[in-house]
Amino acid sequence: METINKQQKRRSRIFSAEARVAYICLIPAFLGLIFLTYLPLVGVLGISLTNWTGLKSPVFIGFDNYIKIFTTDPYIKDSIISTIYYAALSVAGSMIYSLFIALLLNRKIPARGFFRAVFYVPYVLPAAAIYVGWSWLYEGNFGFFNYVLSELGLKKILFIADSSFVVPSLSMISVWLAGNLIVIFLAGLQNVPAVYHEAAEVDGAGGWKRFRHITLPCMTPIIFYNLLMSLIANLQVVTPALALTNGGPGNSSRFLTYLMYDQAFVNYKLGYACATTLIIFAILAVFTTLLFRTSGRWIYNEGGDDK
Amino acid sequence: MSVAAYGRLRSKKRRNRTMNLITFVVVVLFAILAIFPIWWIFRTSLMTNAEIYKYPPSLIPDHWLFSNYEKTLKVFKFWKYLWNTMVIIVPSCLAGTFTATLCGYAFARLRFHGKSLIWALCVGSMLLPAMVTLIPLYIGWTRGLGFNDSYWPLILPYFCGGGAFNIFLIRQFIMSIPRELDQAATIDGAGYFRILFSIIMPAIRPAMIVVALFIFIGLWNDLLQQMIYINSSDKYTIALGLTNFRGQLKSDWSLTMAATCLSFAPGVIFYLIGQRYFVEGITLTGLKN
Repeated sequence: METINKQQKRRSRIFSAEARVAYICLIPAFLGLIFLTYLPLVGVLGISLTNWTGLKSPVFIGFDNYIKIFTTDPYIKDSIISTIYYAALSVAGSMIYSLFIALLLNRKIPARGFFRAVFYVPYVLPAAAIYVGWSWLYEGNFGFFNYVLSELGLKKILFIADSSFVVPSLSMISVWLAGNLIVIFLAGLQNVPAVYHEAAEVDGAGGWKRFRHITLPCMTPIIFYNLLMSLIANLQVVTPALALTNGGPGNSSRFLTYLMYDQAFVNYKLGYACATTLIIFAILAVFTTLLFRTSGRWIYNEGGDDK
Repeated sequence: MSVAAYGRLRSKKRRNRTMNLITFVVVVLFAILAIFPIWWIFRTSLMTNAEIYKYPPSLIPDHWLFSNYEKTLKVFKFWKYLWNTMVIIVPSCLAGTFTATLCGYAFARLRFHGKSLIWALCVGSMLLPAMVTLIPLYIGWTRGLGFNDSYWPLILPYFCGGGAFNIFLIRQFIMSIPRELDQAATIDGAGYFRILFSIIMPAIRPAMIVVALFIFIGLWNDLLQQMIYINSSDKYTIALGLTNFRGQLKSDWSLTMAATCLSFAPGVIFYLIGQRYFVEGITLTGLKN
């Protein structure tokens, strides 16, 4: 009797109006999760174990692709180095720049909204156009930066056409694009309780001390969020290589995602490219895990855990 | 108030004022630096080639050659590209926002079997970088469903919840709305969909606009997928058209910069219209997580 009751209850739960509505609402998400996320994830694993080129039917070759990548691939090492180099410069640069600008904008200055808009505007421009536009600023003879260099009496630099300058040059663009980080930091700063500052001021704490012991600790969760987001985004960098450098000069901007693009969509080595994909995924996973692991040590949680 | 305290307060005020002045000057300097690249691109777009290569370069063009834009438009089919881009973006934004709202509502308010499992799958997919599924999806769209040289592979994903991040955002927002509102409506005999459409949706309008904006920016910047799925030049988006145009006219900087400025324009206009929501929305994502 009891079991029947339970079953009935259960059935009514599944077919209750509420649940029915929920399932209807979730149809899109179901489709997305199955066909756009988890099946492709299985797919990428599967394809990476084949020699598929898209023409002949794929043949299972075990871990050959992975072995090849680590032993004979001419690009992978440079690619990993340039990607990490780019991500490190971009993340560090944009974090420092955006926190600095946010701190300035957090003071009572006139036309704050206007300035916030100015710093934010690069973020809403289409990325392809930004890189094309900046390529003119970086131009080797008549570009603006070379004009400044020659005014300062320095030698001209080819910037994006010079293998040792291309990554820092591209990173600088990504720092310039950090408008959304500024807005998030600014919101965080406005949430730092003013009482703390007032209390510290009564105790005679100066500007730097208050920043170091009040603002910074209160901001750590937001710093973590921005750090995570910009790390993930910058490690997947591909647009500058597609729009501007084609991985060059040499292999100096052959970022990992571009390498994958090149293998899959230029050379049609689909199996091989899938193996590269998973290696990129592993690298991303290592960095995000590291960030999460160390986060407990420096994130200050006001009032303990809130969830 | 004692005289000494009053003096201290006054000197503090004065110090604050000078600090604010210094801050203002520094902000102005940085703002000029930030806006400068855009200005440099713009002024180049209005110059003759002779003027571009002049030394020292001038900050303001001698003659504002708007005819450069006419010349550019003859080769760079901006209006066509803009239309193509909108054909992708508008349905994606609408569908993505709507389906994300449906899913967010289910997760935030409704009780059903398997909720925690589906939620876990959803959050899990947020941690998966987009490039991981790129190749299998490409194979699926082009081989499996035959969408070659088509916009559908770019649009259809947004009919599937608009991405876990957006669902998450909507859910968080709905959860911050008091349940009493729904309950009152239930007593009045409103069904779950009625509650969603007439109570929840009006209340979360800012979040929905934010989601639409994120989808807009995401598509706007996604050169990689556009390159993969679109082949023929009459289907080019702004991003593709510009990349291609630059390849053709490598040395004609004034025309290339004019095309660049044209490509900037929709984003800037869109931003000026929706500025308030942009800022609100970005703020929201940073604080709700």
